[in-house]
Amino acid sequence: MNGKERMLEAFARREPDRVPVWEMAFNEESIIKLASFFTDDLPPVKFAQQMTPEEKLKLLTCLFTIVRELELDGISSLALLNTEPAGQDLVKDGWGRLLRVSEEGEATAVGGPVSSPGDLDNMEPYHPQQAELLVLMAARGNFGDEIAQVFVQPGPFRESWTFLGSMEKLLFYYIKNPAFVHALARLATDFILEVVDMAIELGADIIGLDGDLAFSQTTLMAPEHYYEFILPYHKEITERVHGHGKLVFKHSDGNMSPIMDGIVEAGFDGFHPVQPQCMDIAEVKAKYGDRLCILGNIDCMHLLPFGSEEEVELSVKETIAAAAPGGGYIISSSNSIHPGVKSENYIAMVKAARKYGRYPITIEV
Amino acid sequence: MEQLLSELKASVIEGDEEAVKRLVAESHASGISPRRVLEEAMMPAMEEIGTRFSKGEAYIPELIVAAYAMEAGMETLKPLLLGDEQGAGTVVLGTVAGDIHSIGKNLVRMCLEGAGFDVVDIGEDLKTEKFVEAYREHKPRVLGLSALLSSTMLHMREVIEAVRAVDPDAIVMVGGAPVTQEFANEIGASGYAPNAFEAAVKARQLLS
Repeated sequence: MNGKERMLEAFARREPDRVPVWEMAFNEESIIKLASFFTDDLPPVKFAQQMTPEEKLKLLTCLFTIVRELELDGISSLALLNTEPAGQDLVKDGWGRLLRVSEEGEATAVGGPVSSPGDLDNMEPYHPQQAELLVLMAARGNFGDEIAQVFVQPGPFRESWTFLGSMEKLLFYYIKNPAFVHALARLATDFILEVVDMAIELGADIIGLDGDLAFSQTTLMAPEHYYEFILPYHKEITERVHGHGKLVFKHSDGNMSPIMDGIVEAGFDGFHPVQPQCMDIAEVKAKYGDRLCILGNIDCMHLLPFGSEEEVELSVKETIAAAAPGGGYIISSSNSIHPGVKSENYIAMVKAARKYGRYPITIEV
Repeated sequence: MEQLLSELKASVIEGDEEAVKRLVAESHASGISPRRVLEEAMMPAMEEIGTRFSKGEAYIPELIVAAYAMEAGMETLKPLLLGDEQGAGTVVLGTVAGDIHSIGKNLVRMCLEGAGFDVVDIGEDLKTEKFVEAYREHKPRVLGLSALLSSTMLHMREVIEAVRAVDPDAIVMVGGAPVTQEFANEIGASGYAPNAFEAAVKARQLLS
């Protein structure tokens, strides 16, 4: 069984030969640190947006090296929308969104092209370009059908708030101007559908919709707001992906319990990452394991940055025991391999997944 | 009078900014003291949203509209509150270096204002010296540090040490997604709260 078959088998909620290992994202610095275990040909540590084309290529090669050396079962890519510099630490994309990059995280929208409903009238939608999906093309070209091609795209909630440059503003309009919220979601969803079509045409097997809908305690919005403002758009996207014969999962950090039924109803095939600080993977498995493939759960907040390799191994063992029997589980960190994660711990996580993840699962914890 | 205050409270909860501004002005015109308006209508409104929030009956959108309405009301009310009547004191609030997330900090700011504090929001991605400068300048009763990333929360320790070098009795509160009570204890923070409402309650407790 190759990586792609393993991932698809898990998504079908059947037992593959072993628990698939995959990661939704690695930051630039993490890629370079991890790749240094396998090669000396490394780019300088900086953000992809600030790299020369040669450095970007080197970064990508490093990512491919990690995936190959660690025998990961899938690789994730995302659209790198064209941007132009817009001041110190700021870039602007084709929509006119201002993104700020910080030393320790991903680029975050801090200003949007829309500040009031009237702004939508004159707004020209931005259309994705194939060249912006270069990472997917390169990954597909490099790995073919050996491993699953996962393409990660912000969902309608995240795209909507970035048009405003602020999540706070979008949530304000949930109560103050529902029609505006729908107009933003429409604009976002049309764009997402275009990106998804293109990604699938270029070889994506699985689409991941990112954009958090929850924080540690509960969802960002009431369940009825999820059903009103997000679920219909999620449904459009899952139907489009399924129409192409492909799979789609929802990513959200935080405690998603209040809207997990909605995630199933929207037609998602999987859910990532079941953040261990606020959701219990055994409970999620028991309640939704017959309808959703579960991805993630290995703590990247404390365990992977600060824990020991032994603690990582124990956590992997326990998580596999809880989530893998019967299939439908793909192991990954609880968000991403960010610069705070110790490379040694990530490697220990992958090794432990191989050690304990062979089916049938017979671990006793 | 009671009627006006209860309408005002309801308008804050509903997030009706216009009604809040009008009712604050009407309360003043009918001779209700600004302190009563604050303590008997506006602060209880935020407390009620907090209670609903903790019961899962209100979510962040409801909090945001109420807090905006509260802010709108405070604009009218603040100039009327005199000298020592100006509330619970000053809090300086910011997100630590490397972290550009603002929503959690903003929610804490809104809840602190709802609890009667004057909040100086110094922004995001701030180096330790920025916190020290702001501490010296504003001499707050409480300094609040926010972080969303586990990789950035480590800067909280540096800030606490640097501020305590200036004022050994400095009250420093910490919060944010990766932060726990254990971590707060470990780095010597004076207080921690798991969400914005409890942050406001905690700040008041620390000062009482």
